[in-house]
Amino acid sequence: MRLILPLLLATALGCGGSKPPTYQLSQAQASIRAAEEVGAEGTPQAALHLKMAKDSERSAQSMISGEDQYEEANLALKRAQADAELAIALTKEAKARAEADEAKAKIAKLKTEME
Amino acid sequence: MRATTFSILLVLGACGTTLPSPELVSARAAYQEAKDSPAKDLIPDKLLEAKQALDVAESKFGDDKNSSEAKTYAYIAERRARGVISVANLVVAQKEVEQSEKDYKALLESSVKHTRDRLGKTEKSLEKTRTELSAQEKELQAKNTTLQQKDVELTKEKAARADAEERLKAAMKSLEEIAKVKEDSRGTIITLSGAVLFKTNESTLLPIAESQLRKVAEALNAYDAGRTIVVAGHTDSVGSAVTNQKLSLARAESVRAYLVTSGVAPDRIRAVGKGKDEPIAENTTSEGRANNRRVEIIVEGAPPKPH
Repeated sequence: MRLILPLLLATALGCGGSKPPTYQLSQAQASIRAAEEVGAEGTPQAALHLKMAKDSERSAQSMISGEDQYEEANLALKRAQADAELAIALTKEAKARAEADEAKAKIAKLKTEME
Repeated sequence: MRATTFSILLVLGACGTTLPSPELVSARAAYQEAKDSPAKDLIPDKLLEAKQALDVAESKFGDDKNSSEAKTYAYIAERRARGVISVANLVVAQKEVEQSEKDYKALLESSVKHTRDRLGKTEKSLEKTRTELSAQEKELQAKNTTLQQKDVELTKEKAARADAEERLKAAMKSLEEIAKVKEDSRGTIITLSGAVLFKTNESTLLPIAESQLRKVAEALNAYDAGRTIVVAGHTDSVGSAVTNQKLSLARAESVRAYLVTSGVAPDRIRAVGKGKDEPIAENTTSEGRANNRRVEIIVEGAPPKPH
């Protein structure tokens, strides 16, 4: 969030020739937040991709604050978003799998109770 | 498997003799996996998106194989393909949950039905037992009523017997005040002195005798009504046998008559005259003769057991 103001300024002033990837940044940050909220840290594979997303976002931010390499930053943010989205998918998959296993266990328990 | 895939993809993907970047190889492999996964049937539109991402990556690679852009789009394509596999697995898991819920419900229902059937059987069995129990109770009640009735009867009988025994005891007691009472093979013998009953040589009862005879009548009625009574008159040896016979009989009849008027049933009691034939003492002394002059009232049959 603290980068929005300098970015807007940079955009307005047209520094660096190309525009800073403000939209992509907000998108990536939103996806990372969403991944955290869904609990990606709790699933090993998802946690890995969440970390990768955060690393990419962090390196993008330092590029942006350096007011150059906006293209590189943009690509890094795209990668961050892709990792965050994968982290979300993996987390949801793990939850669904756990639910399915629980449902099966419930049936097995009922069967043994009925005997 | 991965090595083979790698080499195949190298061959398939190569434009001319260009080796694909590691990122592109990974992207291709991921997409192949996605194609082989349930995604093809379950989420074909998502699989198409992954294919499109791969196409973009291929195109970028074709434009400038070493660029960061090419690497990035291959990276993204790989993540997308892996995402599609993940979503497919999620859908599979959701379907399993649905099926499990159905199975659980069915299992529960069959269990409930099973329990209901058992309950029905148990209720029938219980009903049968109840009916049997009810019948038994009725039987028991009937027996109980009979028993109670018998008990009442028994109590009445006992009371009646006790009563009779009491009366007899009382009568005997009062009798013993005025007469000699003994038991022998003939039955119970009540001996009354002739002097108390009659004037000398007379067969009419003295007034004093009447009260005594009333007591005797009471005692006689206390005995079992089935026992017959003989009033036997006796004399001493003074005088002729004939005179004594007549006198003793007349006396016996007087006593009998009075006893009957005092309430003894006439068909139960008879009078006999024994004359001087059965003395109980020596006729040589006046005392002996006095003793012989008597009336014996014999209650025939088994003597009552004294209490």
